[in-house]
Amino acid sequence: MKQVLYIKSASAISPQHTFYPEQFLEPLVNSDDNKLRVIDIDYSKYISPVAIRRMSRLLKMGISSGMQSLKDAGISQPDGIITGTSHGSKKDMEQFVQDLIVLKEEALNPTYFIQSTYNSVNGWLAMQSKSTGYNQTYVHRGASFELALFDAWLMLQDAKRPEYYLVGGFDELTDNYFVIKSKIDYWKKENIDSLSLLEHSDTPGTIAGEGAAFFVATNDEKDALCAVPSIKMLQDPDAATIRKTLAELLEENGIAMADIDVLLCGMNGDASTQDIYTPITESIDTKTTIATFKQLCGEYETTTSFALWLACQLITRQEIPEAIVHKKGSTNSIKYILLCNHSVFRNVSLTLVKAVK
Amino acid sequence: MSEKIVVTSIGIISALGQGKNAHVSAFRTQQSGLRHPKHLKSKYADEFVLGEVRLSNDELSELVGLPTGDNGYTRTTLLALAAVQDIVNDAGLAILQSEPTAFINANTVGGMCTVENMYMEFIAPTAPEEYLKYIDTLDCAESTQRITEHFGLNAFSATVSTACSSSANAFIFGARLIKHGIVKRAICGGCDSLSRFTLNGFHSLKNVDKTPSKPFDQNRLGLNLGEGAGYVLLETESSAKERGAHIIAEFSGYYNSNDAYHPTAPSPDGAGAYRTMQKAMEMAGIQPEDISYINAHGTATQSNDSAEGKAIENLFGSNAPYFSSTKPFVGHTLAAAGSLEAIFSMYAMEEQMIIPNLNFETRMEELNISPVASLIENVALKHVLSNSFGFGGNNVSLVFSKP
Repeated sequence: MKQVLYIKSASAISPQHTFYPEQFLEPLVNSDDNKLRVIDIDYSKYISPVAIRRMSRLLKMGISSGMQSLKDAGISQPDGIITGTSHGSKKDMEQFVQDLIVLKEEALNPTYFIQSTYNSVNGWLAMQSKSTGYNQTYVHRGASFELALFDAWLMLQDAKRPEYYLVGGFDELTDNYFVIKSKIDYWKKENIDSLSLLEHSDTPGTIAGEGAAFFVATNDEKDALCAVPSIKMLQDPDAATIRKTLAELLEENGIAMADIDVLLCGMNGDASTQDIYTPITESIDTKTTIATFKQLCGEYETTTSFALWLACQLITRQEIPEAIVHKKGSTNSIKYILLCNHSVFRNVSLTLVKAVK
Repeated sequence: MSEKIVVTSIGIISALGQGKNAHVSAFRTQQSGLRHPKHLKSKYADEFVLGEVRLSNDELSELVGLPTGDNGYTRTTLLALAAVQDIVNDAGLAILQSEPTAFINANTVGGMCTVENMYMEFIAPTAPEEYLKYIDTLDCAESTQRITEHFGLNAFSATVSTACSSSANAFIFGARLIKHGIVKRAICGGCDSLSRFTLNGFHSLKNVDKTPSKPFDQNRLGLNLGEGAGYVLLETESSAKERGAHIIAEFSGYYNSNDAYHPTAPSPDGAGAYRTMQKAMEMAGIQPEDISYINAHGTATQSNDSAEGKAIENLFGSNAPYFSSTKPFVGHTLAAAGSLEAIFSMYAMEEQMIIPNLNFETRMEELNISPVASLIENVALKHVLSNSFGFGGNNVSLVFSKP
């Protein structure tokens, strides 16, 4: 028997109003420059004034959403901290490399170097929560967060008592990054209203985003928000592989496509990646609502963490906000959500989220 | 209990060369690979000794059958390809492709070695056309993805980055994937190439010794950076026996834990290192007296060697097993360090030798123990322990046992 992973808490800092529960995506935030940046929260509530002065935005948002997730779960010291990030504290890395070029390898500030280390958010979260347990960071492009969640699931297979893992995904958008990736056509050439991203699916490119989302993953069903019974990761799959993997996921869980209430898709408006979703959307039942989320958070390599936060909200609130509806289905209650996502490197993931009660 | 995980193949490249013979003969003759770099374009090239791999990028490309010149591969990826190629040749690509084989890679700065030479052009309004193919190479997963594509290893891949303990964590993840039946085999390890970024990073922290480092010495001044790649093939004992593979070592214990103390420094009393070593031995079902050799993290920084030395002394007593840091041979290879040193520990076990801790002269005043300062031969090693400690308080200990 495989142990199911339950989500006990979910916290997200994103370009939308997601951090404070009373503001569930309201009012909607849009942009018209193909960049979506997070709404900063009061980070000083989570980080000491001495530490915060030198911290980059990514560290602040990572630490704060991580600490809030622990608080919401009522867990002070998790059994482990597992994160996924494609670029870590990008801004620090950019600053250090630029300084070393401009200053010709003289008089460099080590803070940027230290903070650019990909596991620095992990280190801070361990220090702040005094967690001496398992600590891991995955940096595997579009599968970074999925690997973190998968690792937590693997840890829970060996658990002999209730265990709690803080699992997070985070990446930041910087001006340099936007310029760099525009050279290889990541972004749309035309400036669009971010909320209408999916209406621009006939042109190449997408919009840039960022965010941090953390969860407490556990084998303890009590007070869980939802369960994540399956996570599937694929690298550059063809349509047949996606179909086969979807069939396996459904079979493992003893369900059919018609049981999926919401299909939550990572379509990002890029004409060249629409094909990834076709094998799934073509097999969908009429009762299923198809929803999308990248018009809210933009594209970055750990968007599955934002989407999982959103899935937790849909299940606990039993509502589907208009802003994410792509094709409305007839279902009334939300029991199963299939989360399908991809990254620019064609990492594809299928995650099943299930209501617990 | 779950089945034994064993190491059946090794691929390695470092400043000492490629493969087992190059390394073992350097250990026997006590020849360090450190020198002033020829390939790294740094203002410190004539000032600092580093553990640079002798081969140029073109020579590495030829070694792995790629076109030379601007081929879109960074040095990091080329080093990894060279090391993994040896495993593929040894185990046979057919078996690695036909039965699920994971590739678990570790890396700290991706293709920074290339990107730092193009960065200003990358952020300028336009960049030369030939630079564009390197734009995505900064990602740590770049080398992982290139390797899985190059060898057609599609079953499962991951990239870990926990600073200087990265590849030790890759070993652990691979072993866990096999134990849980996710894959049958896993190629695990790490790679990093020298870059001005990391050299200046550690230099800005005043952690770099310009001359060959002196781990566990009272007068140590810091580390020498190095580069390299090291990978092992892990599988279950029964899988190895089934195909008649030679078993190099049993991967009998491991543990990962966090110091939860400071962003870059270990807890001064070595509590984190102590707990990590202890738990790894517990998993292997052995006592401290069963350990015949410790390949220490031993960076030769003030804080690491003091904390790690105290942890060893507290855990093993003043009658501690043979221990040494092998970093004076190859430098501190960051993400590759954990895997290279695990491999060195297995070589020591196979060759019945204790690899010396070069440059050791004076015992640290806070310790009653000293590392092995010169080569010892004909020692039967039953269990060896390999330590890796990284920024962010990330501690890993691995135990390998004689099969």
